[in-house]
Amino acid sequence: MPASQTETIGKIGTRSWSTPWLKDPTLPVWIGVTVFLVFLMLFPLGSIFHASLWDETGFSLGRYLEVFTNAAFLKAIWNTVVISFWVGVISVVIGALLAWLVTRTDLPWKKPIRALVMASFVTPPFLGAFAWTLLAGPNAGTLNKLYRSITGSEDALFNVFTMPGLIFVMALYSFPYVFSMVANVCELISSDLEDAAEILGANKWQTAWTVTMPLALPALIGGFILAFLHSLSLFGAPAILGLPAGIHTVTTQIWALFQYPPRLDMAAAFSVPLLLATMVLIAVQKKILGRRGFSTVGGKGGQKRLIRFGWGRVPVLLLVLGVLSLSVFLPYWILLKAALSTAWAMPLTWDNFTLKNFSFAFFEYGDTQRAIFNTFKLGILTATIGTLLATLIAYITNRNLFRGARYLSFFALAPLVIPGIVLAVGLFIAYTRPPLVLYGTIWILFVAYLTKEMPIGFSQAESTFKSIHPELEDASRIIGANRLISLKDVTAPLARSGLIAAWSFIFIGVIRELSASILLFAPASKVVSVVIFDLKEEGQVGVISVLGILLLVASFAVILAMQWFAGRDVVATRE
Amino acid sequence: MANVFLDGLTKKFTGMAAVDDLRLEIKDGEFVSLLGPSGCGKTTTLRLVAGFLQPDAGEIRVNDKVISSASILIPPERRNMSMIFQSYAIWPHMTVFQNVAYGLKFKKLASREVDEKTERLLRVVHLDALKARYPAELSGGQQQRVALARALVVEPQILLLDEPLSNLDANLREEMRFEIRRLHEEFGITTIYVTHDQAEAMVTSDRIVVLNKGRMVQVGTPSEIFDQPRTRFVAEFIGKTNILSGRLQDGNAVSLAPDLQIRVSEGSRSSTSGDAFVCIRPHNFLLTAEESEARKLASQGFNLFSGVLERRIYFGDAVDYMMGLSVPPLSLRIVAPPSRQFDKGQRVFALVHPQQCVIVGDD
Repeated sequence: MPASQTETIGKIGTRSWSTPWLKDPTLPVWIGVTVFLVFLMLFPLGSIFHASLWDETGFSLGRYLEVFTNAAFLKAIWNTVVISFWVGVISVVIGALLAWLVTRTDLPWKKPIRALVMASFVTPPFLGAFAWTLLAGPNAGTLNKLYRSITGSEDALFNVFTMPGLIFVMALYSFPYVFSMVANVCELISSDLEDAAEILGANKWQTAWTVTMPLALPALIGGFILAFLHSLSLFGAPAILGLPAGIHTVTTQIWALFQYPPRLDMAAAFSVPLLLATMVLIAVQKKILGRRGFSTVGGKGGQKRLIRFGWGRVPVLLLVLGVLSLSVFLPYWILLKAALSTAWAMPLTWDNFTLKNFSFAFFEYGDTQRAIFNTFKLGILTATIGTLLATLIAYITNRNLFRGARYLSFFALAPLVIPGIVLAVGLFIAYTRPPLVLYGTIWILFVAYLTKEMPIGFSQAESTFKSIHPELEDASRIIGANRLISLKDVTAPLARSGLIAAWSFIFIGVIRELSASILLFAPASKVVSVVIFDLKEEGQVGVISVLGILLLVASFAVILAMQWFAGRDVVATRE
Repeated sequence: MANVFLDGLTKKFTGMAAVDDLRLEIKDGEFVSLLGPSGCGKTTTLRLVAGFLQPDAGEIRVNDKVISSASILIPPERRNMSMIFQSYAIWPHMTVFQNVAYGLKFKKLASREVDEKTERLLRVVHLDALKARYPAELSGGQQQRVALARALVVEPQILLLDEPLSNLDANLREEMRFEIRRLHEEFGITTIYVTHDQAEAMVTSDRIVVLNKGRMVQVGTPSEIFDQPRTRFVAEFIGKTNILSGRLQDGNAVSLAPDLQIRVSEGSRSSTSGDAFVCIRPHNFLLTAEESEARKLASQGFNLFSGVLERRIYFGDAVDYMMGLSVPPLSLRIVAPPSRQFDKGQRVFALVHPQQCVIVGDD
């Protein structure tokens, strides 16, 4: 070895830092990212606890006492539990059935069905709820009018502004969570396990009941919890469907506490039970999914044979399409109709046809123009910076760049247990006072989105790095490339498709976000979801539909682009 | 030109020593294998040499210059080494040619020179016809050759191989062993080869270093390691063996049972009395059913065992017997050529020359 190569050796001081990267010029980047992430997560949460426990007079548990004694608050908690429970149950029934049909039977049109499930997943629940007010409002609702014209009855067939209506609509947009979990498991259960039962004399229904079901059970319970959690944290759908009927949930109650006169301290105290419930449920779900029985399902999956329906395929397919028409076809159709007509409740004739809603939303009404601009600006900004940040964090944890780096993933995943509205309460309290006054600008929304979308971005990036063997990078280092060149030449190109997916997920998550935005927006920083919520009060059905369609088109465009660039199936790779 | 000196090399993971006070000198152009079971510290040693890990104590010196110590670490990219990985680590987004040429990018060569060197190496590993392919379109053996070419094209001073053949199927593995040895003879690069497969180490190496629990157990040429294992661990890890326990007697003798005494190889005994283990390789026995022949050989100095064959497994090129001795519970494993076959339950005599009975330490 030439002498010049030994002259550049540095000395290393303390032993705790005796990792090879110390002389790495990128070390400040890694440390900066770590500090930023920890601050991003801890500051709003700390603010919530602080605001709920301390005021000018000092420490007090009084606010928590009020949460659990005030009848209105208790009613909201009870409503939330009832709604979430039934949403969970219905989601499991629909999601598991569809997952099983798509993965284990000879049902035709599997790809379109998966695509429609994905469409349900991508549809913002508040938009679905809005569409259902048009479909099943008690008076003008299209389906109820149809029912009355057919039967001659005076009553409505179905009033969506009720508890069952609310549960029904929320379940339509929660079942995809169960679907993707159960579908993943069903694809991993090898037919060998089922064959083993059949060779012992079980028929195919007995086999499904005694072998397939128990193996899928952890996924079913996990899916139930996920759907439960999803509906627990939803704000838009309960606000649109529940509030007109006087039904409050925890999220709408927190929102109401922000209305004049604002009671931030109570909102903070009311957020804590929601936060704790979410934490507990996530812990339970982790435990269930981590159990031994579930892991035996893992592995290669092996051979799969499909259960044959024969002639029964047609009615089953119609049933499936019927379910999906409730979450996709009917709402999309009514939105499109409302967007294109002068009077949305009238039949879409040439007289009723108009493009006025589009021109109004895009060119005339300042509020919507600014909101569209803000939404896409925030979407692109958050997705780009979020992906970058998530990539750096995942790189740190995956390559274990310094001692304790693994624990960073805990911080990156923490927002999973923070419902959007709770996060917003924390951010509002944290960033409305010095030293960091962000409220009133779009930057508080940016921070909210960045925090909220960190888990999805991080887990995408993490699984991407996991799939890239570290030896690929070692191989370039040993023949002369330094750490940064290795990242550029080897790791980055291999991570490309995973990072594109992370970007897309964050973007879609941001443009549909309502529950945090609703507390954090200011007149100049309104986003599309907030405008939709506001316009609902004014009954601007046509404009809302235009904006809704815009969100949907943007989401689908991003998904299609992602599949084009990265060759990924979104529903299949979601965890 | 590079000799490597590992001087008291120590690496701990969470307090446990993965590599413990390793001291080894590797001469220029030598091919040395680090052999041991998984967890013995061989891969850690290799990664220490490569500079992916920093030692907690000790030094690594190349041509008398320190490249690794507790306070000094030259990064991998400035060590003038190459490495071949267990996973091959072929970059899937580059063609065969791009993979091989990559390392030359850092050598400040003219592009014509890069092409020439790459083409030459591709010919050496018989991949010139596949240079435009992507790794996913190659078989495991071909990917392995890409890894070899990529490592050799940069003309490293030292070549490191980390279980490079463990992902190949048996036939290919055998072929690649000879290939690696051939390339070593062609290029003469100082090589450190990590493996848990003793046959691989035997075929490729000038010297073998046997490691166990982070410590060096024995260093020697393949035949030294095989014929004169120093400890029970080495004897059992490398090849099949019989380990018989007994007590040392005078005159190179070991008593295995009250009526059973054998003579052992002269060089192997380290003390004059006490417990001892004797290692006898199964294929060193001579098996016969005729007492006269057995007596004749015994009188020439061979150790004689008599017993009944309890198990017989036919392998085609050899027959593997288990012989129960007349002094139970002793039994011997014997591998004999198939030219003379014996039956299960048959009474036979097994003879072995004292030179092939080696005393080993109990470790």
